Amino acid sequence: MSCPFLSYRESADGASFDEARAYCEAEERFVQPMRADICNDRFDLDHAADCEIYREHADAGESESDGEREEGDA
Amino acid sequence: MSYERFLAGEPVVVTAALTGGIHGKEANPNLPETPEEIGRAAGEVEAAGASVVHVHARRDNGERAFSTERFQAIDDAIRRYTDDVVIQHTTGATQAPTEKRHLSLRTDPPPEMASLDMGPLNRYDRLTSENTLATIDALYDEMADRGITPELEVFNDGHLNEVHGLLERRELADPVYATLIFGPGTLTRPRPANFLNAVDNLPEGALFNTLGFGRHQLPFATMGVLFGGNVRVGLEDNVYYRQGEPAESNAQLVERVVRVADELGREVADTAQARDILGL
Repeated sequence: MSCPFLSYRESADGASFDEARAYCEAEERFVQPMRADICNDRFDLDHAADCEIYREHADAGESESDGEREEGDA
Repeated sequence: MSYERFLAGEPVVVTAALTGGIHGKEANPNLPETPEEIGRAAGEVEAAGASVVHVHARRDNGERAFSTERFQAIDDAIRRYTDDVVIQHTTGATQAPTEKRHLSLRTDPPPEMASLDMGPLNRYDRLTSENTLATIDALYDEMADRGITPELEVFNDGHLNEVHGLLERRELADPVYATLIFGPGTLTRPRPANFLNAVDNLPEGALFNTLGFGRHQLPFATMGVLFGGNVRVGLEDNVYYRQGEPAESNAQLVERVVRVADELGREVADTAQARDILGL
């Protein structure tokens, strides 16, 4: 399973490419090709464990939803 | 001492690291990725004075590739665009299975040279290129079987011990050729004293190549020229010509270091001289 923040784009932010490239929706930028192996969970890599960007944004998402739940609980 | 090679006017071998496997066109759109682009870049750097091209393989979207077929396509393109350049394949492949690292050695013909990482290297926050002694020995053994000359990549001073260790475990042909690498993270801190220390701790008679990452590429290449070493430049290691100004091409970086060598009075080796110096 690949990272939920991964998409493939031919263009973004003024940059365009002949082939669609790995794009991180969390950071809103094209990712380095080596990092794309983490995004795609290749070679036993796991984006949830191995990508600090995913972990940061997933944690932020959890905190936000925790906050909403707490508000709702209140 | 290596400075003697400078005083003796020994030619300097220029290697161009054309593409790499970490960053790609998202960092600099002039970085070649496809076999055709890499082949064309090889022709340009050979014309500019490089005698060795260090290559990685990529998919058309820039992502890493390891198959023999992809390296073969790259080599075929390089040979179309060059006269006589020395082809050096990577065997690096952070986190990829060890068996994939052997695939670049199996082209027809094999590359004349291949890189051999001498120890571990951290990448990002959670990745490591492991390079155990068993991996090093297995890659070396296949290189030896196929007549491929290893380029020993020394990421830090601990790896100098590993160079000496490899020489105890295996009989390498003379001259031993090591690339001293300077930069951030696991790499040796890019300071002149560390450069001199690394040169001083190489095995007797070893030749060295000098690689500085990013902004350190030009100063360390200059030290490499001055202290009798050889130099590696290219977009794999540095995507800028100067601060804030992306390099136009690999050839632009080669042309600059050739000018430096010329100013310092060192002849730049042509491909025949490079083969003679490196014992290919």
